[in-house]
Amino acid sequence: MVNIIDHLIQVFLLRFLCLQMASATATYGQKESSDQNFDYMFKILIIGNSSVGKTSFLFRYADDSFTPAFVSTVGIDFKVKTIYRNDKRIKLQIWDTAGQERYRTITTAYYRGAMGFILMYDITNEESFNAVQDWSTQIKTYSWDNAQVLLVGNKCDMEDERVVSGERGRQLSEHLGFEFFEASAKDNINVKQTFERLVDIICEKMSESLDAGDPAVTGAKQGPQLTEQPAPPHQDCAC
Amino acid sequence: MDLSLLQALERERVLEVLRRDKQLRTIEEDRIRRMKYELQDLRRKGAKSYTRQYGERTCARCQRPLGKFWNSGSVCRGCSHRICRRCRVSVGAAEWKCTVCHAYREVKFRSGEWFLEEKAKKFPVTADKYETVGERLLKTYGVLSHISVVPPTPPPHMEYPFLSRSGDFKNSKPFTKSMEDLMVSFTSHIRKMSNSQNDVREDLLKVNNYRRGSDFHFCTQKSLSDTDINKCKNLVKVPSLPNLFKKSKDSDHEGSSTGAEEEASYSSEYSGGKRGSSSSISTDCGLFESVTVAGELELAVAYNNNTSSLEITVGACRNLTYGNAKKKKCNPYVKAYVLPEKNSKLKTSVKKNTTNPVYNEVLKFHIERHLLYGKRLQACVWHSRSLNRKVFLGEVLIPLDAWRFEDKALESFHWYPLCAKAESPDGGAVEQEGGEMLLRIKFSSNNQGV
Repeated sequence: MVNIIDHLIQVFLLRFLCLQMASATATYGQKESSDQNFDYMFKILIIGNSSVGKTSFLFRYADDSFTPAFVSTVGIDFKVKTIYRNDKRIKLQIWDTAGQERYRTITTAYYRGAMGFILMYDITNEESFNAVQDWSTQIKTYSWDNAQVLLVGNKCDMEDERVVSGERGRQLSEHLGFEFFEASAKDNINVKQTFERLVDIICEKMSESLDAGDPAVTGAKQGPQLTEQPAPPHQDCAC
Repeated sequence: MDLSLLQALERERVLEVLRRDKQLRTIEEDRIRRMKYELQDLRRKGAKSYTRQYGERTCARCQRPLGKFWNSGSVCRGCSHRICRRCRVSVGAAEWKCTVCHAYREVKFRSGEWFLEEKAKKFPVTADKYETVGERLLKTYGVLSHISVVPPTPPPHMEYPFLSRSGDFKNSKPFTKSMEDLMVSFTSHIRKMSNSQNDVREDLLKVNNYRRGSDFHFCTQKSLSDTDINKCKNLVKVPSLPNLFKKSKDSDHEGSSTGAEEEASYSSEYSGGKRGSSSSISTDCGLFESVTVAGELELAVAYNNNTSSLEITVGACRNLTYGNAKKKKCNPYVKAYVLPEKNSKLKTSVKKNTTNPVYNEVLKFHIERHLLYGKRLQACVWHSRSLNRKVFLGEVLIPLDAWRFEDKALESFHWYPLCAKAESPDGGAVEQEGGEMLLRIKFSSNNQGV
């Protein structure tokens, strides 16, 4: 009899433990994406030719991991990362796109929702560099007018196989009006800096958008302000 | 944009990403909604009331009197109201805004509204500004993709009525044939089976029985197939299957960071189900008849520090839809969960024959205050029926982050509009996992030469 009760208690405890663990992993696993404790949410899109290293770049940034094996991205994918920048917690939803032509209809559909872009080429691949102009046109076509773009020459660890000089990359970026970084997902060079710079630029655009548009936003209430003009803003300091 | 060019597997992969995105967006919408509530609150406090007379010179925000020369306030460039010095927030070097204008601006930043506005300059807003491409795709392909997973559906004969087919499978053995056969055989055996059958079977029987009664055809409507799958899901919930499920999960996700997340969410779902009654397992899985959702639910939520419990006072509902539209009957009750765990469930009493029930009942969840962070209250309204399945009448989701109880806003009664089930991100996760489970079952059945 005692044995049976013992057994029952054991079973019960085990089950209890399992349940506890299950709920613990649930809360842990969902933390990053279901976390609501942030100030801004930015959506970023990474584009560029196939195999320039977009997915690797994202994995390096989001998970700090790197695998040399090449797995072509199917259509689209995204990762979420929350960073702390300029006293704000910013949640980034970073979309990774397939470079292959056949997925183009899917990927371009996501341009519209992105606030910023990382346009990537491979410094060991001339073709990917030549395609930058086309990608930039795509952004102009499918994205909002103030889309912020960073041009990134990836794989800068492979200096021996370099075919696109840093100077050419810089010139092109100036021509297109983008900022420019050379980076390496493999050696973790400039990855974080790229994203942080992009976040900063988006923040700037964000402030601009509202400050410039302020009178328009409250335009309906502009009338009374004009009649109350005799009260200049510095009046309260007169005393 | 359409996915028709992609192969089935690729499409599944993309849809999987879209679903994840949808989950993320649901959470984000939740956050935005909360932010806007707060803003409204702030505005209400700052607004001048019509019932009171104000002097010319009072601060528009705190209603303190302003002097003519001294402390005279000045005009906010946002709202053109005269504001005292205390109700200002400085923006940039010399600029300032009144508290409400500042909050308004902040909400625009925080909700991403600024971006929507900017975007609308180039792409005029057509329908729902929050709806994205992914959303549309999910809508169109959500149904289709599930169909592609369902085993042998005879495509040319979509009009085939369910009843006549059931006879063909009369003697088939449940659990060994494909899922669809399984469903069919259940219904064909319906009369022979006694009530002492195990829970899962009984659940299925009841539903099929009910559907047959209300002239539903199994394969005729595309939109139905989704709910049909939900029914199959009930099988998935049989406790002997989770190991199988986990295995399939692992192999599907090849070490991607999200794999763990989803598996985890399943296990919590599972643990919750085990503790709950069998009826709530089935209702959670979407095994219910849906009606159009309408009406509102009155709730007050407060945290009692003395008893360390969350007290939800269910006031009343109004303008509910009839659970039984034909007979104009409705016996509503309210069921509450603290998400995402779902292991604690509380119900109110059932009010008979009314679409405007009044409850005034308090539901108490015993939970530590700090554990409320990130949790959400789910209050669903159900129509109760004695024999048949319950009918879902709508639900309300309220975030329960601890700070919300500081401002006392939630503690008074509020009317919340009822939403459809699809709003729940947890529900979404369940559906998605049910689909994957089905895939496995299909393969094993094929091997047995169906």
